[in-house]
Amino acid sequence: MVQDSKTVGADKDKQADVKKLKPGAKKRKGEEDKDADLSEEDLELKRNLELLIERIKDSNEGVQKNALQALSQEIRSATTSMTSVPKPLKFLMKHYESMKTSYDAMPKSPNKQQFADIISILAISSGKKGERESLKFRLEGSEEPLSSWGNEYVRNLAGEIAGEFQDRRENEASAADLLELVGQIVPYHMSHNAETEAVDLLLEVEELGWLEQYVDADNYRRTCLYLTSTSAYLPEPDDKTVLHTAFSIYIKVKAWPDAVVTALRLQDSERVEQAVAECGKDLDKDGVLEKQQLAYLLAQQGFPVDFREGKAAIPTRGDEDSEREELRDTLTEIGGNMRASSHYLSLARDLDVMEPKLPEEVYKAHLVEGRAPAGPAVDSARANLAATFVNAFVNAGFGTDKLVTPEPSAPSSDVVHWIFKNKDHGKAAATASLGMITLWDVQGGLPLLDKYLYSKDPQVMAGCLLGIGILCCGVQDEHDPAFALLYESIMKEDTTVRVGAILGLGLAYAGRQREEVGEVLAPLVTDESLPMEVVAHAALALGLVFVGTCHQNSVEAILQCLMMRSEADLYQPWGKFLCLGLGLLHLGKQMAIEATHEVVRTLDPNMAAYCGVVLETCAYAGTGDVLKIQQMLATAGEHIDVDDATPWKSHFQSPAVIGMALIAMSEDLGTSMAHRALEHLLRYGDPPVRRAVPLAVALLNVSNPDMTALDTLSRLSHDADSEVAQCAVLALGIVGAGTNNARLAGMLRGLSSYYYKEPTLLLLVRLAQGLVHLGKGLLTLAPARADGTLVSGVALAGILVVLHASLDMKALLAGKHSTLLYALTPAMRPRMLLTLDGEGQLLPVPVRVGQAVDVVAQAGRPKTITGFQTHTTPVLLNVGERAELATNKYIPLSAMLEGVVILKPNPEYVDLGE
Amino acid sequence: MGQAQSGQNPGFPDQQGQGEKKEEKKKKWEPPAPPPRVGRKQRRRGQGAELGSKLPGITPNAKCKLRMLKLERVKDWLLMEEEFVQNQERLRPQEERNEEDRSKVEDLRGSPLTVGTLEEIIDENHAIVSSSVGPEYYVSILSFVDKTQLEPGCSVLLHNKVLAVVGILQDEADPMVSVMKVEKAPLESYADVGGLEQQITEIKEAVELPLTHPELYEDIGIKPPKGVILYGEPGTGKTLLAKAVAHSTSATFLRVVGSELIQKYLGDGPKLVRELFRVADDLAPSIVFIDEIDAIGTKRYESQSGGEREIQRTMLELLNQMDGFDSMGDVKVIMATNRIESLDPALIRPGRIDRKIEFPLPDTKTKRRIFNIHTSKMTLAPDVNLEEFIMAKDDLSGADIKAACTEAGLLALRERRMRVTHADFKKAKEKVLYKKKEGVPEGLYL
Repeated sequence: MVQDSKTVGADKDKQADVKKLKPGAKKRKGEEDKDADLSEEDLELKRNLELLIERIKDSNEGVQKNALQALSQEIRSATTSMTSVPKPLKFLMKHYESMKTSYDAMPKSPNKQQFADIISILAISSGKKGERESLKFRLEGSEEPLSSWGNEYVRNLAGEIAGEFQDRRENEASAADLLELVGQIVPYHMSHNAETEAVDLLLEVEELGWLEQYVDADNYRRTCLYLTSTSAYLPEPDDKTVLHTAFSIYIKVKAWPDAVVTALRLQDSERVEQAVAECGKDLDKDGVLEKQQLAYLLAQQGFPVDFREGKAAIPTRGDEDSEREELRDTLTEIGGNMRASSHYLSLARDLDVMEPKLPEEVYKAHLVEGRAPAGPAVDSARANLAATFVNAFVNAGFGTDKLVTPEPSAPSSDVVHWIFKNKDHGKAAATASLGMITLWDVQGGLPLLDKYLYSKDPQVMAGCLLGIGILCCGVQDEHDPAFALLYESIMKEDTTVRVGAILGLGLAYAGRQREEVGEVLAPLVTDESLPMEVVAHAALALGLVFVGTCHQNSVEAILQCLMMRSEADLYQPWGKFLCLGLGLLHLGKQMAIEATHEVVRTLDPNMAAYCGVVLETCAYAGTGDVLKIQQMLATAGEHIDVDDATPWKSHFQSPAVIGMALIAMSEDLGTSMAHRALEHLLRYGDPPVRRAVPLAVALLNVSNPDMTALDTLSRLSHDADSEVAQCAVLALGIVGAGTNNARLAGMLRGLSSYYYKEPTLLLLVRLAQGLVHLGKGLLTLAPARADGTLVSGVALAGILVVLHASLDMKALLAGKHSTLLYALTPAMRPRMLLTLDGEGQLLPVPVRVGQAVDVVAQAGRPKTITGFQTHTTPVLLNVGERAELATNKYIPLSAMLEGVVILKPNPEYVDLGE
Repeated sequence: MGQAQSGQNPGFPDQQGQGEKKEEKKKKWEPPAPPPRVGRKQRRRGQGAELGSKLPGITPNAKCKLRMLKLERVKDWLLMEEEFVQNQERLRPQEERNEEDRSKVEDLRGSPLTVGTLEEIIDENHAIVSSSVGPEYYVSILSFVDKTQLEPGCSVLLHNKVLAVVGILQDEADPMVSVMKVEKAPLESYADVGGLEQQITEIKEAVELPLTHPELYEDIGIKPPKGVILYGEPGTGKTLLAKAVAHSTSATFLRVVGSELIQKYLGDGPKLVRELFRVADDLAPSIVFIDEIDAIGTKRYESQSGGEREIQRTMLELLNQMDGFDSMGDVKVIMATNRIESLDPALIRPGRIDRKIEFPLPDTKTKRRIFNIHTSKMTLAPDVNLEEFIMAKDDLSGADIKAACTEAGLLALRERRMRVTHADFKKAKEKVLYKKKEGVPEGLYL
């Protein structure tokens, strides 16, 4: 809050200085020599002031008035340095008490009010701490504008108001007079570049709504930036209020993209629709473009908005409806993310990385020092599986590769297609990788997958169904092929096929909240005759589709399953996925989990503990809630004796560690502090805790190969506990996902030769290598966007599934269920900045890309990026990087230069012939 | 010293640990060499290798609620850490286990230990060391030695028989530098400075406030000055003011005289400057005061003598330290000279020295205050009229006034009087001025 004026502090120095001088002087001479160290002007000023004070005590009103005016004149005209109190104030200090007494004696008159003003300003330096005299006299004084007394005075007053307000609220006294004063102070702050102080004051007096009227096009950016960054640190109801205020300010100044981002942060679909509806209402040329920009934004976030019906729809109007219908089509196309594939490919063409890559080109075995894993592979099935995944990750979205898409030249030739070179689940993974390679390109990908749809091999068929799901992930096609194709197979007898279809449905509709999907999947969860594998996948799929919605039917289904199933069914890896599904449904919902939590508590103790931890950490994901973190730390710190009969007793500790990272991940401060806590956990924790630590590190640094994180993970990847090492290796992949980080690649190559005799670890190293080169370095898994403020629930859900699956590495990812790794698909998005012109064509412009700088509450127009380089769009952005246009020729329609941004020409641009 | 942390760190399986089981199971196990992590340059990073051992920086610097909330958040986290660690220590005291490890390490080290110098690091596990007696040895480094702290030239502990490196002796900063630290604050305070109000304000703004209230500068959006130079006639109070700064600040105050930086051997001067700034950085926030900077800071010219060139190199190092690649952070520099015109322009350009504070000869007002300061503790006869000296048109500096007062006191003493008379002052002043005006070169006090 506004601090006590610093001049007070500095002034104490002075006083001390004066005091030190005194004793020597006092010895010889009397009182009058105290002024000896004052210069002549000062002496005169002092006498003058003393005279004025005498006159104020005069009974004649005219004399009083003159004296008061002269006094205030003196005070106002005094200029000061930063280091000391203005002289008049200093000289008046010792008269302060006497002035107060004479003020009390004065009869009520305009003079008295003016006197009150003067005492009020004197109170800054003379008043005692905590008495709030400045405020007291201000309230009694005249209504003179605050600004006449200067900035320092206003600050001090604001500080006292905040304190007084608290006291009065405790005593339940009225604070109307204070609020009136606040009403004067806030506009003063807002017009004097002190937006932060205005916001602080309004937060103190809980009247944030007032802010909106004082915000204009000049200061809204600073104000809102402050508001939004403060919200991460405020307790639960306040953080929402702050964001609501920011939202209405953005609406007021017509900053639509910012408004939508704020609404998305609030998880408030009504507000999103409101912003979309109000944006470009009259549908002129700019309005249409602005709407398109919003559609791009929503598409990248995977937030479904209907442009044909409902609130956000474009209203019909008879005369020009064909035009509007066209616009509706365009918006639906953009909002359905159907242009993702073409944009991504144009990025790839621009960067010249279209050439498909083989897994060998990623492994770069020739660079491995020491003993390379030469000779026949130790385990060719695993090597092939690894190659399948690496191939899928590296060529994700490009539509071509050298392993699975090429057709054998003749059906009868000896060359066996890659898919059939695999065994068992390897076949499923290989078939599904077709979906990954043709990611987002529904039209292009379906024909490729189609021919395996009727395969006799259940594994191939399962893979094909999963592939269709992957293909449609994040894309909302009009014809909706995924549901039509997958729906029937869900009821197939074969478990493998069913699982493929269920996971496919979950991925295809991740975050889409499609009721039909829920209706198909929910009965599976409750069906007690089904194997746990199917049930768990169904719960997971429900969690993905209805992520963060608390979808009633799904929640009930999963809870029912948890209650009905026997212990033998639940206490296996699949039981954990039921909990995770439940957690995903409540992602970020905070208090809304209470009812579910109550039910969970009634479960069998071990299950209740596990499920409770998953549920709570998911619900508070990204909130930074300190109490929950404390709880998780305590959970992870327990030391539980387990024997072979009761391994589940301590299982809940692992999700607690991941959950701690999950809660802390949204802001920088929490992230770095969480790292410290993880270091302690590593030192003191039991094996289940230590196993989860690398995964937590991965969650905190998704696609962000930070040096310290890499160092720690590389240390852990050599850990004596092989499960820790396994998790650390996969974590390395997630931390470096899509960055092409050379250092990390070298580290992994080292690991590949280190572990060349360990098939499981080698497989994981390969997977990590594939992840590092995800989409040849064009894709990212980072769930946060818009400078890390907006976390995409779908992306987070995808990552969480893989992290939780890693807790049972042997049974799942490295075992028969490697296809779970495809759950990363919803988190995949191009890490690009693509600029379009009004027609939707690529528009190359120069941009500066550099490390983002925190500019909250900084004066002036500080640089937002540092160490930048100038590129021409499209460009790649790393986590923690920001871009800004390097030309005035165009104006971006979105303040956040990320993903797809539409540019419009700047009407004021003058070509200087540079 | 060698850290006993290898229990958690089986990435280096050369000595012990790293389950010998594996070794048996797979004969051809050959771990790759971990990336070398040696030397001080990496030590700073190495400290970070433990996940976030440093607290995150808090922005914004301005006083606002956001800052408060962020600081509170960090505090909450730290409290949780404390609670966690305390609980863990209570449940499973690490002490005993550490004690065991430590005694094991002691056994491996043996006793007595030889002290040697690390000459060169060959690879992760081997180095060349020399001991004071003569020959250099190629020895191995034991795995429990913290390799991040090894750097060529540091003192290491060697096993008495096999001479393997078993520990590190923390190198202390150059003792020359530690002498420069002002441990006892000087007695002079701002109150002892007569006049010079403008100068005091300027030096406070440039040196003290950036260390105590950095947010003021951020508020207005400027970078605080890095350093100031005080210049002016001899005896105008430059050093006095620096003493007053040292008296009032709680920051580390390092003082050097320019001539101290001139060393006998080539390269020692620049090294001393580097050490000086490194210590200043370690002890930040700190103020470095270099008196009589003209001893090393004169303009560069073509010089034949090696000594001259060495002095110039020392200055070049100073230039680099003040505005080079490494940021100075919370280190402020104050320099003082009475010959600013002879200084190298590169030294006093803005960016290195942002503020040049002139100390003029005192005007009448200031003179009066200086007289008052010096005479306030003297017993003066009633006939003393200081105004006469104050209004005189002589060029009196602060030091001259002090000298005159002292001289007057001495004259009174000579005549065994208890009071100093006006005549004493007159005579004293004449004496001081006489010395000054006599044909001797200016600035030479005989």
